[in-house]
Amino acid sequence: MDKSLLELSDEELILEFQKNNTENAFNILVQRYKNPLTNFVFRFLGDYESCADVVQETMIKVYRYKDSYSSVAKFSTWVFTIAGNLARTEYRRQRRRNLFSINDYGEDHSTYDLPDESSRPDDVTDSGIKDEIIQKALLKVKETYREAVILRDIQGLSYEEISEILGVNEGTVKSRINRGRAQLQELLKGIYKE
Amino acid sequence: MENDEKKYEDVIKALKGLKEVKAPANFEADIQRRINQEKFSKEEKKGFWQNIFVPAKLIPSLGLVAVAVVMFFVVDTNSEEMDNPFLIEPRVREDVFAVTDFEEVESKRDELSKQKSVKKESPSVDLRTNKSQLKSSEDKLITGREKSGESKGLVDEKDIANDQSILLDNLTTVDSTLASVTENPQPTVPTEAGAEMITGQAITKEELNFRQVQLTEEEQKTVNELRNQVQSVERVNKTQK
Repeated sequence: MDKSLLELSDEELILEFQKNNTENAFNILVQRYKNPLTNFVFRFLGDYESCADVVQETMIKVYRYKDSYSSVAKFSTWVFTIAGNLARTEYRRQRRRNLFSINDYGEDHSTYDLPDESSRPDDVTDSGIKDEIIQKALLKVKETYREAVILRDIQGLSYEEISEILGVNEGTVKSRINRGRAQLQELLKGIYKE
Repeated sequence: MENDEKKYEDVIKALKGLKEVKAPANFEADIQRRINQEKFSKEEKKGFWQNIFVPAKLIPSLGLVAVAVVMFFVVDTNSEEMDNPFLIEPRVREDVFAVTDFEEVESKRDELSKQKSVKKESPSVDLRTNKSQLKSSEDKLITGREKSGESKGLVDEKDIANDQSILLDNLTTVDSTLASVTENPQPTVPTEAGAEMITGQAITKEELNFRQVQLTEEEQKTVNELRNQVQSVERVNKTQK
């Protein structure tokens, strides 16, 4: 891989890919963002397989619609916006599917897509169990709050970036984060007592 | 802000302590494979029709041109303006009445036919008597001529003058009877037989719906005066001959 390309920022790489159709620039961007995006989408969906599909789709959209990126915005916010939209769509699709399956078979035969322990990268240890509990609690938080909380407390993005990604003002972002945290605290009471 | 973060310190710590989920090992390869698939499918999509026809962007403009050409041939701008047949006013026919009340017309027609039947009888009788008079006068002439030796080919001037005077007398009587007929004019309708001969179709009087004019007394007088003037002129001419 070209060393000079590795030194470029995300924005410079996407511009290079736009202007000269440099495939290597795109590949570097994929390498840089594949894990953050996978983490974000997995925490939002709670299903690794669909998470991998969503991240792949996000990267393909970046490849296909590279010309729609404007240098005014940060590349990270653009790519997280795409991933967030796709994740939301996938989450709603899954919820609809689960609703139908509950109606068809009853609650005893419900087919919720819980993370597959064997395929999940996090090990089944004490910390692993804790992670699983937190993940389950996170999935119970309202969709809009959950996204904001993940972007802020897991991905570590600034309020400004989150407001750009979600398309709402910073005040709304903060309130969403606080509400999400409050719901999580309520759900994770037992863990803190331990 | 800081208060909020302190309030939810445990939650934030728990979330930050979550292990990072990494992408699958063959992530890049999968993306590359999907990109190549898309490229291939795009190339496949450019098929026969796309190569033959012009680019899709030109289709709307070509469609517009086609419509314009069709309109040019369908709508001939040079043609004379056609009057709308629904807007043309019908030609006024003064010789024909528009009948609205048929009952009234029929009642009038019955009255007229009755009047005619009454009046027809007297002139026909007069005409017959006149004709018989004419016949008898002709006979007289012939007998007069025979007596005076006409049969022998000899004609005297006196005899001719006598004949003419007799004829004139008879003609005056005929004219007078005609005048009496014309005093009460009736619509002259061709007889059924005559009409049938002309048109090949019999038309009864009832079927006709023409305007029937009845002259006033003054008009009748003027007509008679004119007629007499004409007759007097004729007489003068005949006497001169």
